Amino acid sequence: MSINGVLVSAGIAFGKALTITTQLPSLDFKLLSVEQIGQQQQQLTHAIKQLIAHLQHCQHHLCPDGDNFQLIDSDIMLLEDEELRQQLQQHIHQFRVCAAVAVDRIFKQHAAEMSALDDPYLANRGGDIICLAQRLTSALHGHLQWDLSTLTEDTILLAHDLTPAEFAILPLTHITGLILESGGLTSHTAILARAAGIPALFNYQFSQINDIIEDGTQLILDGISGKLHIAPSAEIFTQLEQKQQQELQRRQALMIYKDKPSKTRDGHSVTLLANVGNLNEISHVTDVGAQGIGLLRTEFLLMNAKALPDEQQQYKLYCDALHSLQGEVLSIRTFDIGADKEIPCLSQSKEDNPALGIRGIRYSLAHPETFITQVKATLRAAKHGQMRLMFPMVSQVEELDAAFILIERAKAQLIEQEKDFGTLSYGIVVETPAAVLNLTSMLPRLDFVSIGTNDLTQYTLAADRTNPHLAKQYPALSPAVIHLIALTISQCKHANVSVSLCGELGSDPQVLPLLVGLGLDELSINPANLLDVKVALITGYYAKFVRHAQHVALLTRISDIRNAINAFSLDCD
Amino acid sequence: MYQKTVTIIAPHGFHTRPAALLVKEAKAFDCDIMVQCHGKQASAKSLFKLQTLGLYQGVSVTVFASGENAQAAVDKIATLLITLS
Repeated sequence: MSINGVLVSAGIAFGKALTITTQLPSLDFKLLSVEQIGQQQQQLTHAIKQLIAHLQHCQHHLCPDGDNFQLIDSDIMLLEDEELRQQLQQHIHQFRVCAAVAVDRIFKQHAAEMSALDDPYLANRGGDIICLAQRLTSALHGHLQWDLSTLTEDTILLAHDLTPAEFAILPLTHITGLILESGGLTSHTAILARAAGIPALFNYQFSQINDIIEDGTQLILDGISGKLHIAPSAEIFTQLEQKQQQELQRRQALMIYKDKPSKTRDGHSVTLLANVGNLNEISHVTDVGAQGIGLLRTEFLLMNAKALPDEQQQYKLYCDALHSLQGEVLSIRTFDIGADKEIPCLSQSKEDNPALGIRGIRYSLAHPETFITQVKATLRAAKHGQMRLMFPMVSQVEELDAAFILIERAKAQLIEQEKDFGTLSYGIVVETPAAVLNLTSMLPRLDFVSIGTNDLTQYTLAADRTNPHLAKQYPALSPAVIHLIALTISQCKHANVSVSLCGELGSDPQVLPLLVGLGLDELSINPANLLDVKVALITGYYAKFVRHAQHVALLTRISDIRNAINAFSLDCD
Repeated sequence: MYQKTVTIIAPHGFHTRPAALLVKEAKAFDCDIMVQCHGKQASAKSLFKLQTLGLYQGVSVTVFASGENAQAAVDKIATLLITLS
């Protein structure tokens, strides 16, 4: 079963399922008598006191400088807040309702006010308030915590939500994984799970699995390939156990390179960024020491969506991504859609030859509203960090002219709506031979260029990249493609426009010497391959890479190129 | 009454943790300390109220107080608003 939630923390977890439900009695709205009002007010005071004592007890297990401790501190501070207490007590008195109803209404209203804030990071904190409200309601009913102290075997915990305080007291020696119905990439509990290295899956629709998972069911949460295995066969179990072992050893060995500067032994620096195709991968980007995201394929926003995500949704998502990048650059590629990718929420007409049809920037220019919405969300997010925006499938300057007119329109709309926005760097993905040949006219309008080798190969060699009969004879490492890459690099350098490469070619450690030798100072790589590529970079010499590239650029046969690359990597070993 | 206006520079604004630290410091003073922005105001001693003010990066905030030690209190809170993150 593949996963539809958000993987906030990677790895493979093995464990028996344990569902913890915080089933609270439904709210009782009946009008209270004067006598009952007093009782409810007292009960509330008592529950608050009990919860505070319980949270303080949790803190005993924690280091006072840690995140957990301070987060619990702020929960306690809220519970001690005079203004909040007065509002709660007054609500009980004024509306003659029981304490649980008052808690529900006041906290929900407070969370709604927070969620309405114009800053997405602050707005997300509304979820933490709802969590606290649930804890307080539980306390009103006399439940303070689940008893997990008796766990003796590895367990994957399933719950609607966990507060940071609850996470803090989990017996982590026996909790191997976490599946929550709520939460997102930047929720406090997500940050804590990632820091603790526990594979965790958030925002998971339990309705998908409720009927099949009982307590004690064997689960494997495979955060590497994004699968949840329910009661797996012995064969799969062993397979994944081996995979986990291998992965652990491999990652352990590579991790020593994570924080090393990404430069060759003779001191030539190359920026290594990550390609990201879904939300789950964003959290892995900094884990592997990437210096930012060089390509965010935004189509994933549309794949399973019933409707096109609106400006606010996109804005929040980009801000979330920026936040998890901790100040590093985020490069957004506008929707690369066309008849070759079926997207349920878009109106698409059938084309005889979709690869040569209305796709990439062509689709955007034909559907300006979709494009403007995405540009507006990106411009607004740029206020919160370093952002680049790039357009796929641009091959002539007229397309750029049209795109920039729409960008001006997007800015005008933002000004009119009094929404703040930041500045963006603008670039194109070079993926057609025409783009390379037309670069001179386009470069003056661009801040950067990223070479998309997958499509550049298919369009240069006129070979469908999905056709298995062609892949071998028409590879990216062919003289024509290498020539176009070299031409792009030299033109960009001449015009002082920065140049990067985001195709699959960049994720192959064997090809790194060629690409760096050709003059690329930046590569965007699949996170899973990033450290392998980095090893190839920092164990080599730039001077040798340059000589190697000069040699390869003169070769005229595909087999000679392949041999030269193999020979060079053997030489390095 | 003594008052001071500052601009928030913390990249993620005044989220829960810095706000909680601010409340702790505010409680050390006897006088009433108010924080005002976006036309709303809240007591600097109430985390509950501060959370909904929208103290994010770039926002201009006025702190005011009257009574005993008002000046010291305003100075302290204003400094925290521009230094904590």
